[in-house]
Amino acid sequence: MNQRDNSARWLLVALVCVLALVAASCDGRDDGGDNGDDGDGEIATDVGVTEEPCADAVNEDNGCIYLGTLSDLTIGPFAALAVPITDAQAAFWNKVNEEGGIGGAYDVDATTFVEDNEYNPEVHVQKYQEIEPEILALAQTLGTPPTLAALDFYIDDEIVGAPASWWSGWELEDNILESGTNYCLESMNAIDYAIGEFGVETVQAVGYPGDYGGDAAAGAEIAAEVNDLEFLGAVETAPNAVAGSQEAAIGAVLRAEPDLVIITTGPAEMAEIVGGTAAQGFEGRYIGTSPTWNKGVLESPAAPAIEALYLQSGPWAPFDTDTPGHEAMRAAVGDVDPNDGYTSGWAWSYPLKAVLEAAYENGDLTRAGVVQAAGELESVDYEGMLPEEAGHFAGEPNDTVFRGAVISRPDAAAPSGVTVVEDFFTGPTAEGYEFTEPCAAAG
Amino acid sequence: MTRLLQSLAAGVGQGSIYALLALAFVIIYKSMRVVNFAVPGMMILGAYMVVYFGNVLGINFWIALLLAILVGAVVAFLIERLAIRPMIGKPVFAIAIITLGIDVLLRVVTSDLIGTNIRNIRDPWGLKTFNLGDVVIQHRRVAMVVAAALVCGLLFLFFRYSRIGLAMRATAFDQEAALTLGISVGTVFALSWVIAGGLSALAGMFVATGSGIDQQSAFVALKALPAVILGGIDSIPGAVVGALTVGIFEGLSNTYQIQYLPFLGQNFAQVVPYVILFIVLLVRPYGLFGTPEIERV
Repeated sequence: MNQRDNSARWLLVALVCVLALVAASCDGRDDGGDNGDDGDGEIATDVGVTEEPCADAVNEDNGCIYLGTLSDLTIGPFAALAVPITDAQAAFWNKVNEEGGIGGAYDVDATTFVEDNEYNPEVHVQKYQEIEPEILALAQTLGTPPTLAALDFYIDDEIVGAPASWWSGWELEDNILESGTNYCLESMNAIDYAIGEFGVETVQAVGYPGDYGGDAAAGAEIAAEVNDLEFLGAVETAPNAVAGSQEAAIGAVLRAEPDLVIITTGPAEMAEIVGGTAAQGFEGRYIGTSPTWNKGVLESPAAPAIEALYLQSGPWAPFDTDTPGHEAMRAAVGDVDPNDGYTSGWAWSYPLKAVLEAAYENGDLTRAGVVQAAGELESVDYEGMLPEEAGHFAGEPNDTVFRGAVISRPDAAAPSGVTVVEDFFTGPTAEGYEFTEPCAAAG
Repeated sequence: MTRLLQSLAAGVGQGSIYALLALAFVIIYKSMRVVNFAVPGMMILGAYMVVYFGNVLGINFWIALLLAILVGAVVAFLIERLAIRPMIGKPVFAIAIITLGIDVLLRVVTSDLIGTNIRNIRDPWGLKTFNLGDVVIQHRRVAMVVAAALVCGLLFLFFRYSRIGLAMRATAFDQEAALTLGISVGTVFALSWVIAGGLSALAGMFVATGSGIDQQSAFVALKALPAVILGGIDSIPGAVVGALTVGIFEGLSNTYQIQYLPFLGQNFAQVVPYVILFIVLLVRPYGLFGTPEIERV
């Protein structure tokens, strides 16, 4: 073989490589890179948007927007909540498609790139990196620690996502489209409510440390200080799977004898603490943040104590509430065991829909266009599940953070076990709070 | 003094659950020299079966418990026959990894059965308490202690006096010698899994008392691991002593640590079993009652 033959062979190989690269670049789904269009010649797209219809498309003539989901679907601690959240979001986007899709031009596929993060930050980042080249945005990024682990990647990749947690730090992140108030402000409202209803003078916080219980405890301490209540401390506990039992928390509550306990645990742990303290004569009140609740506690031995002593705060009203959004959610998810995981998954999806519609209206469905649209969003139509101003993402967090919460009471007859006793309200503590940083560090 | 007695009562009760689980670990280890990491999955399956028979089918609690123990034993038997038996002769590390896979399988299936809600077992104890002087004691804690004591007594009689129990002890001592004496080692293996399955189900029921089970309850079983290593992984009395030690120190830590050792931070009780384990293993590397292994080099 002479040198000339060799050169020709290398030239042929190079030519084939160039052709392959050109062919790959024409596949809009993988990386786009160029400005695709929807037929009007107006819409810029790059990653995660194709002119081809989605698999099993509702509208065969539409292009497809691919959204990713990173959720706790099997062995992680929040799988019981995450599965209905994910199911509700699939139903939400299917409804969007049935109504014509985004701008009548793009269906949304939120089911192809669903990954189990196992509530493990390392797994979360790994799964994110696997789906990142295929998606425009994240329909769900579950858990504060996992999401924080991937946040820098989201920022670098210009990915926005709907969180599945209510940590106060999300208010300060441009790439996170939070909905509803956070644990911190929710607990301030809970204390304001308790002051008005029960005349409490001493407050204790019991919960998990970090972004969940720590955030709520910080809010409780702030509210106690503002209202001249005696704050009896924040008692840290852990899930029974780790701690074995809640004896330590029960003992701490019994020793402190507070008028009000802000509790941020899991439902089984809450039932053990409320039931365990009541069995030993405790008569103070408990108000728990939303993940503390599960209707199953009303079938536990602690049910009488829970019905007597416990109230539930939350960022929105429960499953069976009479708003267009709740009704649409119930119709879309079908015949399921009522669970507020569905309610949350549905409510969290509205801002991303609004952002995609705004980006489409701007003619820019690129990732950068979506980030820009998110930063300019001033209201979201939550179909009554939340006030429109809850979807205000443009401006300073202190001006845009949504501060309203609802209070519910246990009700065995209600589908998800709670009935609203105080609809959206913002107490004076939350109203006056200068929100400039997370109330508690995540972790 | 009241606080001390109260925390001891709670600790002994919790330690009794750990003891049942520790026995499930040790009995399999003694017969096969395999650490069975599927105990959490077996435990939560047993707990769910009590829910299923008691709540879903409406069967009397005690009958539901017996049926759940039976199901736990049968599932354990099937695991041994289908997944473990073909691995006999292979490295024990490989078998232990298989048990990890079985654990994930059992937990995922049972989580699906449990669903999104907490499941309660409608046990007769609930959160009821009685007073012993000034000490408030939960009925369920007493039930845990009584059950663990009964199980220990029955196991003692079984291993001491029954023919198959003696065969199990012989197999644990020397498998090859047991084989030459005509003992069916395969039957011994199967029986050890059956007993462990039943014990796991019983422990699962107690885990579910008070506030029910959810998809995460299975991990309580891992608390038995430090107890097992503390007592000596091949010692049945060691498992019980280790479990009660862990339970009692957890209880004491829950009550006193934040008051007297606040610099250790909250939730330190979770670390206590491992601290005890660390200290004991420094002095006795094979645990309190474990058999020292002598290797000729």
